[in-house]
Amino acid sequence: MNQLISVQAAAELIRQGTPLSLAGPESALDQLPAGNWIGGTIPYFMVPSGGVVVQDGQVFATDLSPAGEVSFASYGPEALGDISRNGPDNGFAVTIIPAGSSSHQKFAADAANFEDAFLKPTVGWIAGVHLSQLGTVNPKVYDGRTATKYEDRAVVAYVKLPADKLASIEIVNLFEPGTGDLLQFEQTAFEVDQCLVNGQPTNFATYVRERGLENGQLPLVGDFAGAHVNASLQSVGEAGGKVVLYAPVFPGVDYHFAKPVGDYAAAFRARLADQSTDGLALSCNCILNFVFGELEGKAIGGMAGPITFGEIAYQLLNQTMVSVRVH
Amino acid sequence: MAIPALNHPCWQKLAAGGLSKIRTQHLGTQLLAKRIERSTDPLPARAAELHAFFTKWERILPTEVAQLTTL
Repeated sequence: MNQLISVQAAAELIRQGTPLSLAGPESALDQLPAGNWIGGTIPYFMVPSGGVVVQDGQVFATDLSPAGEVSFASYGPEALGDISRNGPDNGFAVTIIPAGSSSHQKFAADAANFEDAFLKPTVGWIAGVHLSQLGTVNPKVYDGRTATKYEDRAVVAYVKLPADKLASIEIVNLFEPGTGDLLQFEQTAFEVDQCLVNGQPTNFATYVRERGLENGQLPLVGDFAGAHVNASLQSVGEAGGKVVLYAPVFPGVDYHFAKPVGDYAAAFRARLADQSTDGLALSCNCILNFVFGELEGKAIGGMAGPITFGEIAYQLLNQTMVSVRVH
Repeated sequence: MAIPALNHPCWQKLAAGGLSKIRTQHLGTQLLAKRIERSTDPLPARAAELHAFFTKWERILPTEVAQLTTL
């Protein structure tokens, strides 16, 4: 099962002991009983017919039991390294973290350096809210074992795989680095004032505004040994001010602003058309792709899942579709 | 192809930056290569981490494993 269902149906699955990863509005998740589940707030989803916005009464449920043996944990912001450290020797950790929390910031900055981060993969997403509630309602995550919600904690479902199976995390990032200036940053940061442009110190907000990029539609694309890792712009201060990002930039990484993407839905369909869905266990995509790509009502192919405020594939990503596949 | 033993010189080369030269589309390998490149851990610790990584993922990374001793 990997689909939108009613709150009543989700409650029944929980009462039957089904291990679930859930996503939905806070009002819906608040109604669920304690059991074998984790959850996070978000009202946006990609389903086979296209992007949808859910108001109340529905949640997106992913049954994790077909993939393997499932157990649950949750960690505060000071213990996020335990996500991978405590993971099964063969399996993966499904992790949900609330947007804007210190857990979100710490995970984003440190995840690649956690013990066993690349031996015990972490996949998941950042919980959010309806865009009309930004700044007035905080995203929540749920530890289903006690049906308790948190604003600053990581909730985790560990999936232990049989010995003859392996998990791999896959991404679809529509954004390619542009051919413009080389941008580098001297500190790991979500908030940036200074950067190096082709080696020259420059105020980043001024640079962004001078190029008309302050609408945030195009992310920075970092080159991580060939992997394209985005850092999307949340807000751009006045010239001389700061730029706030949805994911941190890192020193020692070369960045370029992305080339524009025309038709997001068509681009996703093209990228996903030749990808098998065999073994896919979980998927998510980014709210910025949903908004800038106008994906409401547009099918993109691939696996259904929540549309999120950040994606986790070993580390925090932005504007990227993430899936985990069991081989 | 079998994974070279931990005392094979390829691991030190890979840990010293060679991993970034491996041709791969595997996200975990790419992100680990960048982490190793930026790491201040001692070289033997980085080499051991890479040995553990490829030992774990050997089955789904055959083309990457074939490149380990060619750098």
